[in-house]
Amino acid sequence: MNLSFFDQFASPQLLGIPLILLSLLFPTLLLPSPNNRWINNRLSTLQLWFLQLITKQLMMPLNKAGHKWALILTSLMTFLLLINLLGLLPYTFTPTTQLSMNMALAFPLWLATLLTGLRNQPSISLGHLLPEGTPTPLIPALILIETTSLLIRPLALGVRLTANLTAGHLLIQLISTATLALLPTMPTISVLTATVLLLLTILELAVAMIQAYVFVLLLSLYLQENI
Amino acid sequence: MPQLNPNPWLFIMFMSWTVFLFLMQPKLTSFISTNSPSNKNKTTLTPTPWTWPWT
Repeated sequence: MNLSFFDQFASPQLLGIPLILLSLLFPTLLLPSPNNRWINNRLSTLQLWFLQLITKQLMMPLNKAGHKWALILTSLMTFLLLINLLGLLPYTFTPTTQLSMNMALAFPLWLATLLTGLRNQPSISLGHLLPEGTPTPLIPALILIETTSLLIRPLALGVRLTANLTAGHLLIQLISTATLALLPTMPTISVLTATVLLLLTILELAVAMIQAYVFVLLLSLYLQENI
Repeated sequence: MPQLNPNPWLFIMFMSWTVFLFLMQPKLTSFISTNSPSNKNKTTLTPTPWTWPWT
C-alpha cells in the first residue's frame, strides 16, 4: 500500500469541481428550519435547547454590548461542531483540517474584536498590553511580549483547530491500518488495536466537540477584553 | 502536508465565509423566539373574578 497518510487531507475534487463545497454545505442540512408552531418536532426542540445552552454559556461573561455577537458566535460554534462531527464519519472529508478555512474564520473575527476594542475603548484595550504591577525595568520587554502574544492569537486559533483535527484523523487512520494489516497474521494483537481504535474514536468525538467550543470560547474571551 | 497547502485556497476561504454568513446564520435565526415587547401594553387582560351562577 503505497499511500501517504496525509492524502486524506487533500481537498477532494471531482471533474475539477472542489468537493469541499459539499462538505461545507452539509451541516446546514442538519438544521431544519422550525415552523411557526409553539411545539415543533423533537429534533427542533433538541436543537433549540442546545442553541440556547451555548448562547447562554457564551454570553454569560460578556456585557450588554457584547451580546450583539450572540448570533455570530453561536452559529460559528454550531458550524464548527457539525463539520467536526461529520468529518468523523468514515470516508468523509473534514474542511476544518484545512488551514485555509480555519485561518479564514479566525483572522477576521479576531481582527473584529481587536478593532472594536481600539475604536470603543482605546486606552483600556492598549492597557491590556501591560499587566498591572509590573516592575519598571521589565516594562519594555513585557510590552513587546504582550504585543507578540496579541498578534499571534489568530494564528494560534487557526492552527489549534487544524492541528487537533489533523492529529486525530491521522491517529485513527494509523491505528485502523494497523488493525487491518495485523488481522491475518496476529489476530489477538489486531483485536487489541481495534479496542484502541474504539477508544480513540470516542476520544476524537470529544475532541471534535471540545475544539469547536474552544475556538468560540477563545474568541469570546478576546471579545470580553475589548468590549 | 496537503492541508497546509491546499490548492483552492481562496475558494475555501470564500466558501466557508459564504456558507457561514448566508446559510448558517439565517438557519439559526429561525430558532430565535422573540421576546415580548416591553414598551407596549399586554393585550391579554388580567382576568376578573367571576362568580359561579349556581353557587
